[in-house]
Order: sequence, then structure tokens, then C-alpha cells
Amino acid sequence: MAKVWIDDQEIELGDNERLNGIEAARRVGVEVPHYCWHPGLSVVASCRMCLVECGTKNSETGEVSMLPKLVPACQTPAKDGTVMVTNSEKVAHARAFVEEALLIDHPIDCPICDKAGECNLQDYHFEHGQQERRADIKPFTSRRRSMGETVTLFVDRCVMCSRCVRFCREVTGTNELMVVQRGAHEEIDVFPGFPLENKLSGNVVDLCPVGALGDSDFLYSQRVWFMKTHNGVCTGCSTGCSIQIDENQDKVYRIRPRTNPHVNQWWMCDDGRYNWRYIHDDARLIGPSVSDPAVSGNGASSNGDGSGLGLMEWSTVIARVDDDVRTAGKMAVVLSPHLTVEEAYLLCTYARDVDPDALIAVGPAPVVGEDETFSQGFTIRAEKCPNRRGVEEVAAVFGKRLTLDELLPKITRDGIQTVWVTGGYPQADWMDEATANQLAAAQMLVVQDIADSPLWQVATHKMPSATFAEKEGSYVNFSNRLQSVPWAIRPPAGARTEGSVYWQLLGRSGLYQSKIVLKEVASEIAFFRAAGEDVGEHGVDLTIDMLAGA
Amino acid sequence: MQANDPDILWVEEPKLGLAGKLYLPLIAQGLTTTTRHLFSKKITVSYPDTEPEIANPLIYRGVHRLNRDEQGRVKCVACFLCATACPAHCIDIIGTESPWPDREKYPESFTIDELRCIYCGMCEEACPVDAIELTSLYNLTGRTREEMVFDKEKLLSVHDQTIDKEPMRSQGGATSQGGFP
Amino acid sequence: MLEALIKIVVVIGAIMTAVAYFVLLERKIAAWVQDRKGPNRVGLPLTKVRLFGLGQPLADGVKMMLKEEYIPGHVDKALYVLAPISILAAALATFAVIPFGSVWPTDGGPIEFVVAPGFDAGLIYVFALSGIAVYGVILGGWASNNKYSFLGGLRSSAQLIAYEIPLSLGILGIVLTAGSLKLDAVITQQAETGMWNAFVQPLGFIVFLVAATAEAGRMPFDLPEAEQELIGGFHTEYSGMKLTMYAAAEFMHMITASFLIVILFLGGWHFWGLTGSGDQITWVTALIRVGVLCGKIFLVILGFMLVRWTLPRFRFDQLMALAWKVMLPLGMVNLVLVAAMVEYFPGAIVDRPLIVFLGMSGLTLVSLVSMAILAPLGSKQQPSTLDAEMT
Repeated sequence: MAKVWIDDQEIELGDNERLNGIEAARRVGVEVPHYCWHPGLSVVASCRMCLVECGTKNSETGEVSMLPKLVPACQTPAKDGTVMVTNSEKVAHARAFVEEALLIDHPIDCPICDKAGECNLQDYHFEHGQQERRADIKPFTSRRRSMGETVTLFVDRCVMCSRCVRFCREVTGTNELMVVQRGAHEEIDVFPGFPLENKLSGNVVDLCPVGALGDSDFLYSQRVWFMKTHNGVCTGCSTGCSIQIDENQDKVYRIRPRTNPHVNQWWMCDDGRYNWRYIHDDARLIGPSVSDPAVSGNGASSNGDGSGLGLMEWSTVIARVDDDVRTAGKMAVVLSPHLTVEEAYLLCTYARDVDPDALIAVGPAPVVGEDETFSQGFTIRAEKCPNRRGVEEVAAVFGKRLTLDELLPKITRDGIQTVWVTGGYPQADWMDEATANQLAAAQMLVVQDIADSPLWQVATHKMPSATFAEKEGSYVNFSNRLQSVPWAIRPPAGARTEGSVYWQLLGRSGLYQSKIVLKEVASEIAFFRAAGEDVGEHGVDLTIDMLAGA
Repeated sequence: MQANDPDILWVEEPKLGLAGKLYLPLIAQGLTTTTRHLFSKKITVSYPDTEPEIANPLIYRGVHRLNRDEQGRVKCVACFLCATACPAHCIDIIGTESPWPDREKYPESFTIDELRCIYCGMCEEACPVDAIELTSLYNLTGRTREEMVFDKEKLLSVHDQTIDKEPMRSQGGATSQGGFP
Repeated sequence: MLEALIKIVVVIGAIMTAVAYFVLLERKIAAWVQDRKGPNRVGLPLTKVRLFGLGQPLADGVKMMLKEEYIPGHVDKALYVLAPISILAAALATFAVIPFGSVWPTDGGPIEFVVAPGFDAGLIYVFALSGIAVYGVILGGWASNNKYSFLGGLRSSAQLIAYEIPLSLGILGIVLTAGSLKLDAVITQQAETGMWNAFVQPLGFIVFLVAATAEAGRMPFDLPEAEQELIGGFHTEYSGMKLTMYAAAEFMHMITASFLIVILFLGGWHFWGLTGSGDQITWVTALIRVGVLCGKIFLVILGFMLVRWTLPRFRFDQLMALAWKVMLPLGMVNLVLVAAMVEYFPGAIVDRPLIVFLGMSGLTLVSLVSMAILAPLGSKQQPSTLDAEMT
């Protein structure tokens, strides 16, 4: 038990805790400003923003002896008897002078800087800086250069914290970024011909405490204060990184990693970060429809294209689907690994309700290349879907778990009348024409998907569904960690989340709420038992319960 | 609530003199005032027969204009501060990288819904480069709603129309550095 | 019979036109007092001639007639429709006994400028009809089935009943001096002595003036229709022609009040050295008398309008206190003074007019000052007093 005093508040640290001054201060709710320190990177103590007064308390006499000079909190371990003062006049002066020094060279171009609004320099200057500027204001030269495809450097704005340099050395191990020149001429740069092009490059933008590193993808597209941030889970691969979705008026503008020590720590890969444009693709499917043999003859469909696939009201379509499925008889369901746990559970419940012997299959989980692991352990998985584990465990409870390939021959052999396929893959080629035609052998093919595909073309009942940003629910990643997230934006008009469709098909009243369903899942299925309690921001590890159960 | 509630603050009525209590002298006094106004100069402006005179066009809050810099380019740097300050949410900007080497960001599109605007002047106050200003044009009319949504070209043309009569409020932002000193 | 019909047509036409133009005048005066110009655009229809806005009443009339006459679903329909009719009918009927001048000499005998000549109880008739006018307001407020309207109606009934009393007291003094209830006789008496009643009984004049303003519901006594408090009061639910009828009736009340003030206190058609006296007149004198009467009435109405834009509205308790605590005692004092004068100094009005005027004025001043010293209007709302009252 180590006793530490911070601003006259006493805290006790655990025996195995190795905290520095900044982390210890956070325990008592004191924020020590800092630029260069980052929990995921090595300590350089170069920015001097976190200077605090430090000393030791003699445990026997109770006498406190302070060090004469200020020390950087990031580099000072909180040991037994450590005393830190973060709110003295001396510390305040030190912070103000550091701010002043940084602002001698920093342009005051906040109005056109994308970081404005979430900039540490702005915030710290407001809180700790001097009111008056003594130095001349330097004109902004707009000197910028591209570091790589994803990142643009605004040279003048850099405060030389070197976080990005350390990130490339320590986390990715690719060493692209470096500091060139010396003293006041220091700049961040890449070696000519070796741009920043690792798969984690986007993280340096988040790491940058000021607006020096800009995200080429997000640059100038939105001011940060207009956006609302929602928690999410990346559906790019089975790692299931915790993310934040920044959105304004139902339009996603960027995706950033959310700190989760159990999954992604502080990082996320560029694949997940930039692969969200399909959410707002013009080719998104909207408007449900049901093919009607009676109507297709005279071309009296409501959209007038004579295809017999008239766009219809959602309520009508759901009622029609329910009627048709129940009259058809034998049923098979293909659960997409892009479904949430709750949606898979509701769909299986519905299928069981229609046909007690319904076949449950798990859709294909695309695998691209091999797992890619970076030097500090961050891994991009080859399996490009977020919830194969969760869907499999749900399917297993509802009968023999099949793969899609196992299901295909059964359709004709067992005389399946209804096949219900869920999609939601961002990959447009997730289903080939041959498989689609095999599925279409059934009398009824119900499809829920977000983009056009061979399968969508042959479907008889078409229901446009939602992407990850529009869905609420839980995903189980490769290591059986379940994360629950809310929806960030509303689906486009004409599309509906799978969960709300199933909710209505099951005749439940009110709006679809994934939390209620997750409670049910947890009580019904042993695998999910740990999710019965409140699922926090970091998710729960479902294997803990399994081990205890075993 | 009762009349003797301690939360009620009782205000003493002013004490009237004898003339006040008689009341008739006060009525006579009041009538004198109204009668004097009956014949005083009228301040009504018979618009549209006569155009109103705007005493100080520099502080009048009429139609917006987008100022040009000395090279005739739009001064705006697409910082969105006017849109942020706007209480009526009538400003819509799409910012992008500027085509000029000395400027970083500029508005690809800049529209103001003049019907939605409440002419409070907050955008003018928020602008860090004095790019948006309210002119003294007051008789803004149109036949359709679409017509009243002013785009960048229209707002720049308001500048061209009014700049001779109403100079820019300050030259503080008129630099080639995207306006930042 | 024909003569009476012609008179009725002329009177109704004249009064309605007068009402329309008094509305314009009121708007103009409102504007002038507030340093505006007022309505000045409407002139001859279909031309660009503006005529200083003299076409405004026509435009207003057409507008009011063309407006949708909406009857809300929650009202008592029969009473709702009856109320404006009754108030307008009563207001118009009042003019039956009001003399618009003296007489018109013709070969077949003089024609009197009054619809119903020779009616002995003219004053009583006027008061009876003004009672019916209260009916219109209360009925309208009640039938509207709206709490604001109802409050307006209630206020109106309380106010009108309260001010009937000082009004009647003011008139009693006149009846004493004139010795008749005929309006004609009152004028004749003033014309013969040359002493207008305002000079003989100034206290009565003040009481009557205030009470008449209150009866007409003019500012500062327009509580029944206080827009700021009652969104229009009793006529909140009315629109179109019915609202016009209410508005017209109110203006007619003001005109009636002006007639009464002029006839009872300001000598009617009499003006020294201009109008002569007695019935032996030529048609020139007759015209002059009509002109003098109308001029006086115009001035009184002008005064009403100026007062409206000068004085703020009374609070309701002040209104009641003014009626019961100030006007009623002053009216009684006046009655006693006039009665004493008529009893002990008969003929003094003719013999020593100056002394009568000075004496009565002095006594009036004394009564007013003593009333001011007593200050019955003073607020007694302090908590200490209330405590005492509550225990």
C-alpha cells in the first residue's frame, strides 16, 4: 500500500500499480495538463507542461520535504510518501510560461484550423495561459505537406510533442516519422520516398494535441463543435475496436478510436477508420418491396416500373412477410455475422415461432489475408466481420448450427419453402450469383441487405436494412468480449434496422430496444450470461462466466 | 399566497401633494402635453413616397454582404464561426481547400437564407476576418422563397453594390494571410 | 307621420356617418398625439386620389362587412346574436328625444329638430335606454361563454350601475333649475338666462362629465374591454358585422354623452349674441343654432378623444372608489347647493349671474379641496392594515 498526497488529498495505490504523477492526480480528480505524454507511448517529458511541485513525506516524522525545482509529473512515479502540489502559484506560472513559449511560434489561425474546438493548446491556454501576449504575432504561412495518403502536416502549428514520432516507432514499428533539424527549426517530417503509409497512420491525427497533423479524409469537412459523438464498435474485422462515431444531422463525418484497454487500447486501423462511406452511398437500398405474381402481370406496381416490385409501406410489407412466411411452411434462416446478438436472437425466435424445425445457418464470414499484428500487439484480424462468435452462439442454441454451404443442398432436398437471408456486408461481392440462385430455389426468398447484390435481384421479399452506425446492439469479438453500443444516426428513409423489423414481426409493443433483448438473451443462453448485468463502455468478457460455469 | 406573505414586497405609493390629490390639475397638465404633441412635427416617414434616411449606415443591420479582399477574391475563410453564432441557423457553408497558394481554406458555397435570418448581426460580430457584414439595404423583397436564399455570388454582388457608399467596417482582417494577423 | 320618418332617416344616416368619421378622427388624433401621421392613404376608390385618408371609413366599412362572421360553437346562439342588436338599437333609439337644434320655421308652424317632439320625460327616456345598453354588454359577455368576455360583462355591469348614480345626481340639479324633464326646456332655460348650467353648478358639471365618460366606457374607464387584461372583454368572441355593431354603439354612446353634456350644461344651441332666444326665429338663426350645437358637440368629443390618449386606465378598485367615495358625495353636495340656491335665492340666476357663478365656483373649489384632503382614494393595502382586517 503506497500512500500518495496530491493537493492535500490522500490516496492509496495498490501494490502492483505503477502510476506516474498525471495518472495519480487523475485518481483524485485533478487534471495535470500535458502535451507529450500519452499513456500508450514512452515518456519523454519534453513539453514541460505537466510541471508540478513534488516532495516526500517522511512516514515516521510526518515531515514533508519538497524538491526545490518543479518536476514533470509524467516522469515522476507516485511512490509511497510522494507529495505533489499541482495548484500552487509556482506551478501556475510555469504552465503560463510554457503556454507563452509555445504560442510564440504557433499561428493564431484557430478559425481555419480543423482542430479548433478539441485542441489541447486552445483549452490549456484558456485555462492556464496568460491573458496578454507579449510576443509579436507571427503571420500564418500555411506551410503544409503531405506525410502520406492519409495525413497532412501543417508545419507551423506543431508544438513538437513528438507523440506521432514515438507512435511510429513504438506502436507500429514502422519508423516513418521523425524530427528533422534542431532547436527552433525542428520539424516533423518523413524521409524522402518513404511516406507515412502504415495501417495505423490515422492514429497520429488523434494523437496530435494541436492541429498540426490533419486527417486528409476529414480535413475542412466539418467543425468539430457541430458534431455529436456516439459510442460504437468497429465492424471492419473481428477485433471489434471500440470507436466513436462523430455525426451531424444523421451524417457521419469521421470515426475515431475509443479507449478500451481490453480490445484496442487507444488505436484503430485505417481500414476501420476510413471505411464508412458506404453508409452514405447513393446505392444504399431504400424502400421495401414484395414481388407479387398477381401484380407483375399488368404492371400496376406502385413505382410504375412494371417490374412487379412495387415500393410499399413498411407496415404493409411486414404484415405481408409475416403472412407469406407463415403460410409457406418450412423455413431456413441465414444469420449474417454483421447482425447484432439481439437481432440474431430475435430472428431465430421468430423462425422457431413460424417453423419449430427451422434450419439456422450462419452466413459466410469473409476472410481476407492473414492477421496483421503490430509491434506493440495491436492486431488487424483477417476475419472481416464483427459478430461471428455471437451469431454462432445464438444459432447453436436454436438447433443444429449449419454453415451456408451445408444449408444449400438441403433447400431442395428438404423442401424448404422460405429462405430468410440477412446481409449487411460492406463488401459488395459477398454473395456470388450461383449461391444466390441456389438460395432462390426456395419458393420465398426474404432478404435484408444494405446494397444491391445478385441475391437482392432474385429475392421475393426485400427489406433494406441498416449499417453499423444506425444499429444499436451488441457484438461479440474474436476473444468472446461482448460490447453493447447505441445507434449513432438514423437509417435513411426507407430502410429499417433488422432489430426493429423482427420486433414488429414478433408482435412486441413499443419501440425496439436492444437492452431489453440482451437481458432476455443473457437469461436464455448460458454463453451470454455475463451480459445480463450492465454492459459497461469496455464490454464484458463472456468467457469469465463460461469458466466459472465449467 | 396571502397578502401578508413575507415574500411579497410592498411598494409604497408615491405621496401626492394637494394638487395631485385634487387630480384635476394633473389632468390639465396631461392634456397640455397631449395637445402639444397634437401639433408637433410628425416623425412618420411616408414610405414608399419618401425613402427613409438611415442615419448611420455603418451600424444598420440590413442585407448581408460578403466582402472581397484587395484582389477581388472572397474574403471569407470558411471558419464557420458565423454559422456557429447564428441563432436562426440560416447560414450554410461548405468549406474546402482554397485554390490560391496564400490561402488555406475558402467557402466553396456560402448561402444565407434571408427569410430565416433575424438580422441580429451576430455573424458580423463573430467573423474573424470581417468578411460578412450587414449593409444598410433594408427593402429586401422577392417573389419566391428560393430567390431569398442568397448564394455566394449574390452576396458578393451586394458587396459590389454597396462598397462605395459603405466602406468595410475595419481593415483589420485585410491581409493576404487568410486574414490572420 | 311622413315628417317623423324623414327625421328618422336623416338622424340615423347622420349618426352612422358621424360614427364612421369619428372613428377616423380618433385614429388621426391617436396618431397625432403619438407624433405619427395616421391613416392618410385611402381616398377615392379606384383612383390614386388620396384625400388625406378621408376614404378610410368607407374602406373600413366594406372590410368589416366582408369579414367572416364567425359564431363559435360554444356560445349561446340566440343571446349571442341578440346582444349586439340590442345595444345598437338602444343607442340609436336614444336619439329620438335629442334635439339637434331648435326649430325650423315653416308656413305650417315650426318643425322641431327632434324625432319625437313634445316628449315630456325625455331625460328619463334617455336613462332608460342607457340601461338597456348595459344589457347588451352583459348579454354579450354571458352569451360568449368565455371567461374573459364574462369578466368584461361583469366589470361593465358593476361600473355602469355605479356611475348611474352620480350621473343621475348631476341631472337632478339641472331638473331643479329647469323645472322640467324636457331636454328642450333645459336648453330654453339656459338660453333665456344666458347662464349655462356649467356656470351655475360647476360641481354638477364635473360630476356629470366624469360619470358620462364612465357610462360611455371611454378611457380612462374602458375596463369592460381592456385589451391588455381581457383581450377585448365582452366582445372577444365577436367578429365581422356584429363587432362593428358593438363598436358603432360605443361611439354612439359617446355622441349621446356629448349631446347630453352640451344640452344639459353647455347651453345646447345657445351662444351669446349669435342665436337669439325664443321660438320667433328665421331659418338663418335656425341654421346657426344647429351649427353652434354641432360645434360644441364636436369640441366635447375632441376632448373625449384627447383624454383617451392622456390618461391611463383606472384599476378596478380605484374605479369603484371613485364612483362611491368621490362622485356620489360630490353629487349630493351639488344637489344640496343647487336646492338651497333655488329655494333661498330664486331669480338670482337672472338677477345676479356673476355672483351666482363666483359663489358656486368657490363652493365647488371648497368641496373639491376638502375631498382631496379626505383622500378617500388613498391606498390602504398595507399588510399591517390587512392583518387587522383578517383577525
